[in-house]
Amino acid sequence: MIRHPLAWGAWTAAALAAAFIDRNPYLQALLLLVVINVFVPYRGGRRAGTWKFALALALVPILFSAALSRFGEHVLFTLPAIPIIGGRWTLDAVAFGASTGLALLLTVAVFGILQTTVRSADVVAILPRPLYRAGTTVALALAFAPKTLAAFQSIREARQLRGQRTGWRSTPALLLPLLLTTLERALQYGESLDARGFGSGRRSRYRPLRWTVPDLIVVIASLTAIVAIAVLPAVPYNPYLELTPSVPYPDRLLAVALLAVPAFVASLSRVDHAPHHA
Amino acid sequence: MTFTTAARLSAAGAAAMAAALLATHPVHAAVHHAALVIQHSSGSLIARCVAFAEEQITGLQLVDRSGVQYEAQTFGSVGSAICQLDREPSTVPSGCFGSGPYWQYFHRQGGGWQTSAFGASSSVLRDGDMDGWRYAVGPNLAPGNVAFASVCGPPSPAATATATHVAQAPNRASALPVATATPPTSLEAQAPSASPQANAVLTSTGPPREPPKPAAMGPWLAFGGMAILLLALGAINLRRRGP
Repeated sequence: MIRHPLAWGAWTAAALAAAFIDRNPYLQALLLLVVINVFVPYRGGRRAGTWKFALALALVPILFSAALSRFGEHVLFTLPAIPIIGGRWTLDAVAFGASTGLALLLTVAVFGILQTTVRSADVVAILPRPLYRAGTTVALALAFAPKTLAAFQSIREARQLRGQRTGWRSTPALLLPLLLTTLERALQYGESLDARGFGSGRRSRYRPLRWTVPDLIVVIASLTAIVAIAVLPAVPYNPYLELTPSVPYPDRLLAVALLAVPAFVASLSRVDHAPHHA
Repeated sequence: MTFTTAARLSAAGAAAMAAALLATHPVHAAVHHAALVIQHSSGSLIARCVAFAEEQITGLQLVDRSGVQYEAQTFGSVGSAICQLDREPSTVPSGCFGSGPYWQYFHRQGGGWQTSAFGASSSVLRDGDMDGWRYAVGPNLAPGNVAFASVCGPPSPAATATATHVAQAPNRASALPVATATPPTSLEAQAPSASPQANAVLTSTGPPREPPKPAAMGPWLAFGGMAILLLALGAINLRRRGP
């Protein structure tokens, strides 16, 4: 399994390059397949939380493009002269919106994978020494928001179990326990940092993060894909000029398929049910 | 000017080559025609007919083959823009467009002019199409009405390319009809043009059309194979780690 944050960083950069540069529907479909493939072995029991948001991002451009664009030759239907949306609705505009929406969906999905796979503790562990303290502080602060949200939800559930009202009028009764819980957690953070000797002399390392062969393979594959995507001639797709997309050349398909290497590595590694990725 | 000389020479060369091609393959050449109308800010009109052998050419190729002097600037993947046509403006503004009037681009559709949705390097002209350029500021200032037949003659297969110069009196420029179905302007006087009077240019043609290639199966096979491999990989990972 791939764990090193830099390997995932390289993979993310390559996948984003493919998502931004390639607007050919065949390449986009292949990239979507690759992204789903990478998500499956690394999801670690989590469900995809942002898929509704990503789907909305993919659908809104279709609606906007179809409603506002009047260009194209393949007319679906013609509305009477209503301001803004009146006129010809074309298949070309729908295809253009779908192409843009798919690019947005891919971008959100790639960042979703980065969020699922990279642990903030690993990122802090590979930070160079001058950035170590600032990095730890930022990581703690970033972890604070979801923890607070979880505390808020558990307090609300506890109130519901006691049969108390849950409307917006109950907000003051919720805020006080939330404030107390948050203060308590802040004190706990401070004590645990103290106990680990944070900020006193040399930085200690517990289970240092090492580069493994699969990590290196992913980095090499990602860099190759970035170079290939940037250098090989892109296959443009402009539905207003030509509605039917052309099939890209095999070398460009191969560049996108290289991004599936993390999924391939995961399929080779031993199945490990220990919950050390919690 | 070296550019126009070179353009004239190359156009003459292309014309000679095309003439040779036409002489050896008289049946092969289905010559197509497209018309070009340029209206200066002074109101004077230039009309050119361009013959081409391909199925379609771009608007930029049409300007290029008409022999009218022009300067274009490439904007990366967006395409090219015409900055200067027939020596107007006298110097190319920085950034191609400047802040005042610019060359507006129109297509002839039906009996009127329609603003082009694409730049000149992306628009497509087929046989019988007509492009219009007007140097103006403000929206929807189309060139004067000129019929295709008055530039290229009635559509007949034997028609050779003709050049027609149309002039409007400069003081009539503001009264020009804007993209309406009025009858075509009568072609009266010769307009002085800064571009070379190229007779040879007008017969210039592109390379002969190649027969259509059979659809290549390679990319399709590669795409299908990769999709199947990825699906198999996903199935393996799902099985190993549970759904």
